[in-house]
Amino acid sequence: MKTVELKGLDKTCFTEKLNNGLEVIFIPYEDKKNYFMTYATRYGSDTNCFVPVGSKKFTTVPNGIAHFLEHKMFEQEDGVDPFSFFSESGTGGNASTTFTSTRYICYGTKEFKKNLKYLINFVNEPYFTDENVEKEKGIIKEEIKMYDDIPEAFLENKLRENLYRVDPHRIDIAGTTNDIDQITKEDLYTCYNTFYNPNNMFIIIAGNFNKKDAMDIISETLGEKENRIDEVKVKEVKEPKNVHKDCEELSINIKVPKIGLGYKLLKEDFDIKDELELDLYFSMIAALLFGTSSLFRERVRNKHLMSSFYYEWDSTKNYSSLLIYAETEDPELLIEEVQKELDYIKIEEDDLERMKKVWIANEVKMIDFVDTTVSNVFDDMIRYKKLIPNKVDLIRKMNKKTLDKILANMKFNNRAKVILLPSKIITKEK
Amino acid sequence: MKYVKKDLGAYKLHLIKTTNFKTIKIRVSFRSPIVKEEITLRNVLCSLLTLSTKKYQTKRDLIIKGQDLYAATISSSNSRIGNYINTDILLTVLHDKYTEEGNFKSALDFLYDVVYDPNVDGNHFNEEQLEIVKRNAKTSLESLKEDASYYSLLRLYENMEEEGPLSCRMAGYIEDLDAIDSKNLYQYYKNMINKDLMDIFVIGDIDFHETEEMIKSIFRTKTFKKQKLGYYLEEKKPRKHIRTVMEQEVNNQSKLAIGARLCNLTKYERDYPLTLYNVILGSGPDSKLFREVREKHSLCYTINSVPNKLDNILVIRAGIDKKNIKKTVSLIQSQMNLMKKGKFSDKDLTIAKEYFQTAMDSILESQSSIIESYYMMDLVGLDDMETRVEKMMEVTSNDIIKVAKKIKLDTAYCLEGVKE
Repeated sequence: MKTVELKGLDKTCFTEKLNNGLEVIFIPYEDKKNYFMTYATRYGSDTNCFVPVGSKKFTTVPNGIAHFLEHKMFEQEDGVDPFSFFSESGTGGNASTTFTSTRYICYGTKEFKKNLKYLINFVNEPYFTDENVEKEKGIIKEEIKMYDDIPEAFLENKLRENLYRVDPHRIDIAGTTNDIDQITKEDLYTCYNTFYNPNNMFIIIAGNFNKKDAMDIISETLGEKENRIDEVKVKEVKEPKNVHKDCEELSINIKVPKIGLGYKLLKEDFDIKDELELDLYFSMIAALLFGTSSLFRERVRNKHLMSSFYYEWDSTKNYSSLLIYAETEDPELLIEEVQKELDYIKIEEDDLERMKKVWIANEVKMIDFVDTTVSNVFDDMIRYKKLIPNKVDLIRKMNKKTLDKILANMKFNNRAKVILLPSKIITKEK
Repeated sequence: MKYVKKDLGAYKLHLIKTTNFKTIKIRVSFRSPIVKEEITLRNVLCSLLTLSTKKYQTKRDLIIKGQDLYAATISSSNSRIGNYINTDILLTVLHDKYTEEGNFKSALDFLYDVVYDPNVDGNHFNEEQLEIVKRNAKTSLESLKEDASYYSLLRLYENMEEEGPLSCRMAGYIEDLDAIDSKNLYQYYKNMINKDLMDIFVIGDIDFHETEEMIKSIFRTKTFKKQKLGYYLEEKKPRKHIRTVMEQEVNNQSKLAIGARLCNLTKYERDYPLTLYNVILGSGPDSKLFREVREKHSLCYTINSVPNKLDNILVIRAGIDKKNIKKTVSLIQSQMNLMKKGKFSDKDLTIAKEYFQTAMDSILESQSSIIESYYMMDLVGLDDMETRVEKMMEVTSNDIIKVAKKIKLDTAYCLEGVKE
């Protein structure tokens, strides 16, 4: 195994790539009792049109299928489900799907070897029947309905839907209840066989475990595993530059209005070609403009303009989009304030330096937790396809000059706006 | 891990030494018997204390001060512990060995500012800052119903008890906001600081003696306090038949919240068999409720049960389709009946014990959980972590059946999701 130091964090990683392409990352902790492991594929809800194993033609599968597949992986032919298996040693198991990934996790303090072996085996052995696929539909529909009733989740989905015209990021990861109805056992096998191959997957383990034991199990269970396909052809999405719908007002069952603003930026417009570096600067800019210590937050707070506020970056192949959400009694005025902030950006060097210090301190704090550490490495493996051992250095090297260069190309005029209003207000207006 | 507790009269100081974390956490906890009419006041105070101080006059100043201390953070929260309302003010700061000599001491001074030197003009709080908090509180109380899951739980409690601590909405009450002004809030603050029972916890790679001296020099309160009221809620008689309450809201999903009462449980039963009973019944994806209601009948995505031994209740919640309300309630009832009849296997019991052990292990991975564990040991006489594991392993099926028979369904509340 290759030894890699996580610089500035006092932590050593070990990496290995098997002959079939499967990547392995170990992050041992000597002072911990627990372990946390994840077995993941670089396949999520954004891949719906591709050339499947054994075919030469593109095929389109129903939305929400990656997430459905994640649920169904917990079905095993012997009838014992992974939750039961893990619980025998008091171990927790779970899984989650994003736009670009599906991961299966297991965490506990006992039976490391048995559980690792089981985690790998259950993900390697799908068992779908017409009956068990039907059964899952009821469960997933309730999951979708649950999120539809959460105003913030509804707003986030609506904003992405209006921001993108064709990109799958416009569709909720779980799909809609109608999408779910169309999913068949054959669809699930098609997706599984195409994307659950060693060359598209990786394993990360952190915490208290023996490296040799772990590597032995991985070699034994996965070393000889063949890829069903070398590289999957995925239909390229031609997402236009402009937002899909620039303004939408909706009335739903809420009591306080909420807004969502999405700004779509084309990555090509920026000189920095390194994705990670660009992401760091984008995040820095948003943190300085809209973070808790920003002047913006202070100003709108004093004007009583909002009761909650959060933001995130959404990244697709060609775009990075800044998504801003808030709860406010005065949507128009708050939108004006946000726009003003983005049209006249001013960032002081002191603020940049302070924020760098905060980010580095946070990296140090996070390494204390095995689950957070695995999550962070996982995110990097999905987003940058590699381990980033020098993140602290990269943060340290951030500077005003580069920041200004990026800012010079940043135009916030390509915007989608969603306003949610309490149903009654609309009725009154009518 | 080493632990010492010192009763300093005005407060108890708990020092916990562990080398497993790069941060040090200091938690100051104030508590007094809960008064429904004062919850909103206390919530406003709680937010105001971490919004600004005399020295750091705005939230931005306050946050920047924390950032300068290598991303130190201060947060505050209110919760109910049985008959008491509890306010925690929590500081998290990196150990000096990852920052610089004196950073920890400066962070303590910062915590002092937040607790003892708030943004006060004379004998009242700063009006502008108070207005910010009140406006925010108003909005969040207005949107309370938007969180259907939380709202259904509140309504269950209110249906189980009209008055008394269980019915208290910890989010506060919108109608109480108007009466709060900068003067009465300051009076309330003074009262809390001087009269509330108080505990201070410090956890991290600390030196006991040095830390104690530091804390003593900063938290100089001298008032001696005595606890008068117990933590456990008074037991209520269960209903003969379960009462069903239905309310409607424009939602896709219906939220079911079922409340059961714990009747005459001994302390041992509350601390031990009850925990395992709940693990088997409904605490995780391997529980009876999850298997039966979700996996077998596809009725829900979420379902779980949670006991609250201080409140003498057990709550079961699920998100379901409205056409399945009756079916779900009856499935839950039959699963609880099976528990009474002892229809669970030895393996179920062994697995529940394994779960408990892992849960105990995971306490050690979180400084906040360690603090909370010591707090409960002190407040309600919970055994220490080692004893807890030992005694839990001794629990028998019979112990659990006995507890199952003392759990009586009381109220089924359903917030029915209806389309406009």
